[in-house]
Amino acid sequence: MNERHTRQEFLGTRSEEIFKNCRVSIIGLGGGGSHVVQQLAHIGVGNFRIFDADHVEDSNLNRLVGATESDVASKTPKTVVAAQLIKGINPRTSIVYIPKKWQGSADLLRDSDVIFGCVDSFSERQQIETAARRYMIPYIDIGMDVHDLGNQFAISGQVILSMPGELCMKCMGFLRDDLLAREAERYGAAGPRPQVIWPNGVLASLAVGIFVQLMTPWHHNHKRVWYLEYDGNSQTVMTSNRLEHLREATCTHFASLDNLGDPFWLPSKAITG
Amino acid sequence: MRVLFKVIDRLLERVRHDLARPHEFAAERVGFFICRTAELAPEGVVVLAYDYKSVEDEDYVDDASVGAMMGPNAIRKALEFALNNKAGMFHVHMHEHAGRPRFSRVDFRESAKFVPDFRNVRPEMPHGALVASKDSLYGMCWYSAVSAPIEIDDFVVVGSPMVVVRIGP
Repeated sequence: MNERHTRQEFLGTRSEEIFKNCRVSIIGLGGGGSHVVQQLAHIGVGNFRIFDADHVEDSNLNRLVGATESDVASKTPKTVVAAQLIKGINPRTSIVYIPKKWQGSADLLRDSDVIFGCVDSFSERQQIETAARRYMIPYIDIGMDVHDLGNQFAISGQVILSMPGELCMKCMGFLRDDLLAREAERYGAAGPRPQVIWPNGVLASLAVGIFVQLMTPWHHNHKRVWYLEYDGNSQTVMTSNRLEHLREATCTHFASLDNLGDPFWLPSKAITG
Repeated sequence: MRVLFKVIDRLLERVRHDLARPHEFAAERVGFFICRTAELAPEGVVVLAYDYKSVEDEDYVDDASVGAMMGPNAIRKALEFALNNKAGMFHVHMHEHAGRPRFSRVDFRESAKFVPDFRNVRPEMPHGALVASKDSLYGMCWYSAVSAPIEIDDFVVVGSPMVVVRIGP
């Protein structure tokens, strides 16, 4: 084992090789995603696909790990900031970076072992989860929000593992039709949402912890479904009690075979050789 | 050309359990993964196993020269299934050891006899043959109508924990 990873040797004798060979896609490289790529690079993940259409703005510097004032001046794409962060930690990584909307290059997700979604909207989460289920890829979602309670604010957040064949984010009650409809109604009028670095860091760390348990579990209590709720005011994280009520439930939202593989599979190469 | 084969751990467990059952005269059992597919950029295919069809007891032929010999009924049923369900069919049997399994000469020879027949009924789908060990997989894919079968590059067993077997580059 490489000297660098000796302190994480308890993850297994093959852990270094497993991380080096695994392919991880990260969608959204803002406050949450930048923490995720940094931690995955430290752990030794060898193959990244990183997606973000935005460039660095001054308002990002309160939380965007790796970004500097010069990135604001030069309008550096967030993908470039993330790639520099990863390469600075481990120059031997392979990085495919897509400085555009991920939906235009969704085919690059297909051979990912795990997808991280660090996006703002419910509709985008739904789209990522749908793509992940279509290609049998575990999807780890993180997000935070700040709620105005009138005379004070509340910080909350969630980390969800949506595992193919298991409960999806709709089953868990996190994605709901009314929320999606409300979001669609105010499309373009939402304005910038409050975001701060420390909840991003907490949620990203929990997400990376779930990823490591999936790839190189260090204990036997593997969970197939995760829904962690973060209360940023009490600084606590708890498993959502919704899971307790869903113990016997099975997912019906992705049960159809229409949700698996390419809907119109007809590659000419298969026929012509 | 890359081929990535994915299966959820619970399905693979079910398959291993089925293949481990004793048979009246066959030394081992065989079955078929039923698969959907997706294209893999720039050139390749993701094979997504979603179900399994066991070869029924009466559809084996008593042939001591091989571990398990499927009779014509077994092949016919699998071909029919592929035709009616737009499915890619991946024959599977098991080697009773841990570590990466390999095809024997007999595995190559026998697979090459019947797997290409699936392309007659479902030419647009990749088909193939796999061998599962206690903790790993190996296999070949008949992807193109004219070229030779190719080795499956990657296997991903989706579950907790994930098992990723990279054979190709």
